[in-house]
Amino acid sequence: MSSGNATEQITPLEGAGIRSETAPAPSRHKLRLVPLLEVRQNVPETQRLACYAASLAVAAAISFALLALSGVAPSDVMREIATVAFSSPRALGSVLAQTAPLVMAGLATAIAFRSNFWNIGLEGQMILGAIFASVVAIYDVGPEPARLVLMAVAAMAGGMLWVSVPAMLKQRLGVSEVITTLLLNYVAFNLLLHLLYGPWKDPVSSFPHTEQYEAFERLPLLGWLNLTWTLPLAALLAGLLWWLLSYSRIGYLLDMTSSNREMARAVGVPVAGLTVAAILASGAVGGLTGFSIAAGVEFRMTQDFFAGYLFSGVLIAFLGRNHPAGVVIVAFFMAILLLVGQSLQIFFQVPSALVQLVQAIFIICVAASEFFLTYRMHWRAAT
Amino acid sequence: MMPNALRLRNVSKSFGTFKALDNVDFSVRAGEVHALLGENGAGKSTLMNIACGLYAPDEGHVEVDGEAVSMSDARDAANKGIGMVHQHFKLVPAFTVLENIVLFNPGRQAAEIASQAQDLAGKMGFDLDLSRRTGSLGIAEQQRLEILKVLVAGARFVILDEPTAVLSDQEARALMTIIRGLAASGSAVIMVTHKLHEALGHSDRITVMRGGKRIAETSPGEMDAAKLTTLIVGEQIVETPAPSAVIGKTRVRLSSVRVPGRSGRKGLEGIDFRVRGGEIYGVAGVAGNGQNELADVLMGTAEQTGGSIEFEGHGDISTLPPGGRRKAGFAAIPVDRYRHGLAGRRSVAENYAVNGVLSGSYGGWLRFNRGQARKQTQKAIQAFDVQGVRGTGMRAGLLSGGNAQKLVIAREFETMPEVVLAHSPSRGLDVRAGAAVHERLRAARDSGAAVILISEDLDEIFLLSDRIGVLSGGRMVAEFEAPANRNDVGKAMISHE
Repeated sequence: MSSGNATEQITPLEGAGIRSETAPAPSRHKLRLVPLLEVRQNVPETQRLACYAASLAVAAAISFALLALSGVAPSDVMREIATVAFSSPRALGSVLAQTAPLVMAGLATAIAFRSNFWNIGLEGQMILGAIFASVVAIYDVGPEPARLVLMAVAAMAGGMLWVSVPAMLKQRLGVSEVITTLLLNYVAFNLLLHLLYGPWKDPVSSFPHTEQYEAFERLPLLGWLNLTWTLPLAALLAGLLWWLLSYSRIGYLLDMTSSNREMARAVGVPVAGLTVAAILASGAVGGLTGFSIAAGVEFRMTQDFFAGYLFSGVLIAFLGRNHPAGVVIVAFFMAILLLVGQSLQIFFQVPSALVQLVQAIFIICVAASEFFLTYRMHWRAAT
Repeated sequence: MMPNALRLRNVSKSFGTFKALDNVDFSVRAGEVHALLGENGAGKSTLMNIACGLYAPDEGHVEVDGEAVSMSDARDAANKGIGMVHQHFKLVPAFTVLENIVLFNPGRQAAEIASQAQDLAGKMGFDLDLSRRTGSLGIAEQQRLEILKVLVAGARFVILDEPTAVLSDQEARALMTIIRGLAASGSAVIMVTHKLHEALGHSDRITVMRGGKRIAETSPGEMDAAKLTTLIVGEQIVETPAPSAVIGKTRVRLSSVRVPGRSGRKGLEGIDFRVRGGEIYGVAGVAGNGQNELADVLMGTAEQTGGSIEFEGHGDISTLPPGGRRKAGFAAIPVDRYRHGLAGRRSVAENYAVNGVLSGSYGGWLRFNRGQARKQTQKAIQAFDVQGVRGTGMRAGLLSGGNAQKLVIAREFETMPEVVLAHSPSRGLDVRAGAAVHERLRAARDSGAAVILISEDLDEIFLLSDRIGVLSGGRMVAEFEAPANRNDVGKAMISHE
């Protein structure tokens, strides 16, 4: 806001309007602090981390207060967290089982975001991935020992196919991918419903989900904490992408392209090819995410196996600063949050909306911290 | 009490450990034009950002009409009669002229603003249609809109940051008339500039800054260009023409090259010229006659619809993408270094390393040896005297204009190029940085490269060129051997319009 001092308002311009002869009346001094914002020239890494930590602390404080208002004492929340996550190896196992698909969802989103492609069609790509994998499973494509690998490959192809439409529309016609990827989620969902209520309805139970995958079509157990191969798969993907994005020529060129496309093109970076490759990779990981839930958790394709992953994926990519390591860390905490949320719902009857609210609070607080990293505030008395 | 005066009293300002301003005193009175001169990084912009409320001083304060004020943003400053016309215009292209003025003056009736703007535009001699879309205005018209905008907001103190940097000679002269008119009608004008003749010919007072300090406050009557240069850079810099000693074979030949124009402007309508090794070919012309298209078509980023570009030893390279041309020995210093030259959000090392990365010096597709890239960058910034680099991890966007340009040159001249395209390479640079850039171009020429210099600054063309082509309406309309007659070149520039 401007100074609340009417006497110092612009003096109407006279004649030529360039200048007013009357000097403005002296201002009345009021003790009022106003912030002045300055753009920061540089931000040391320690300051960035401190700011990040502070925003998380603020988010936690607000969340605890909100839960307390809903009748869950902070001590109860802490106990729930301890129980759900760390009370036993089994508890840790279920956190890790929940973490794996979240890591994959976060990675899929992060790759796209890093190349300035705002892919919010993760759920559509997951659905297509699961559909393609299910085609392989239902119609018994390929020999049994290779079935699982074929399903994974098919899932990646499905995700890539689904993201290639918005990619092409953007490259050729400049159509915003935010609209196209989002709307294709609904197309994919209706395709899924068509299949589940039609040709792929479970012949045994007549429920709207596919028949169960055969044993060799499921991601096998690790033999540790009751976990499946989804976890190593997610870890492998994270490691691979970390390497590619941070230590390879591909990652370097992608960073240059996304920060100044025109400059990158002028110095000979193959910008179009790189961008398309990154977008397709995002779709492929999205398809794999769908596959890993269908073949690793549900052992079939259900109506809602994908639900919530779009939002979680965006959240994880954003909080993890589109970095694979960040994605893994955030996904782990997100898994705890989801599981704690579930048990709070069961044991304390808090509404599920409250759990979503807590997620949203964390997002807003971290997003707000960006502001303090961009600007320095000076508090000074207004005149 | 000084009426109608803006004064910055003993202002200091630091960014981290860097002292941008050190106890600077500066004032401007109604009716005068005060020129603020200094090199890139001398603190001019910081000082003006304090004057218009974007920065708060660490020490000292701002006085308006003899009274200390504190401002929390540009709106506050506007209310106190201070208006700034930034080098990069702050306009919404999709809005009409009037809508942009209304946007800057919230809380007032559009009709009232319209009549006031109309009135002011008439008084200032601006031919501006308030209902036109801002994006369709030329650069000079947009600048007039910026000036009008701050005047409607009641500015008595008008700050113009590098106002002629984006203008042609003609437009710049018209602007100087406008500035004198502003002062004559009682405004106080601060003109931030690099150009000595603007300060000497069109101001009443001159303040020179260097290294964050005020070095001198003087008047044009007591100064000449040489004295002023010495004050600005702390030493004397005089550039003299140095013609090429050995001119070789034709390196590049453009024949009937055509490029379609964008957004209603003419493109290239069949352009012919050749450049030999060991010569600097200067392309003179009034801005907007195909300079950008010519630069783009040489870099390989334009859509070429006809003709051929023959490159010695490589045949017609018309369809060769930018990367292929660079491998063949092309180097480019683009006109807008922050847009086409550097990725501002990436580090100095990443910006420097791009050639090496593409040629595989830092590993294959699955490898990027950052340590090696940093080492090479460190060497290059020393060899090319890039200053203000607080570490190779620093964002390139934080470099000042001159140093950003030196970084671009360091990268482009990493391996000695065979063909150099330089588009207004010293635009926005101070005398010293400009001279350093020119030195690099001459060195490239002397080692046998074919240098194409596109510039709207005739001084630069005459200083460097061994041959001069005149670009007008998308064609090369005349060619002169150096030493050419300046009047003849000037005539050729405008006679074909």
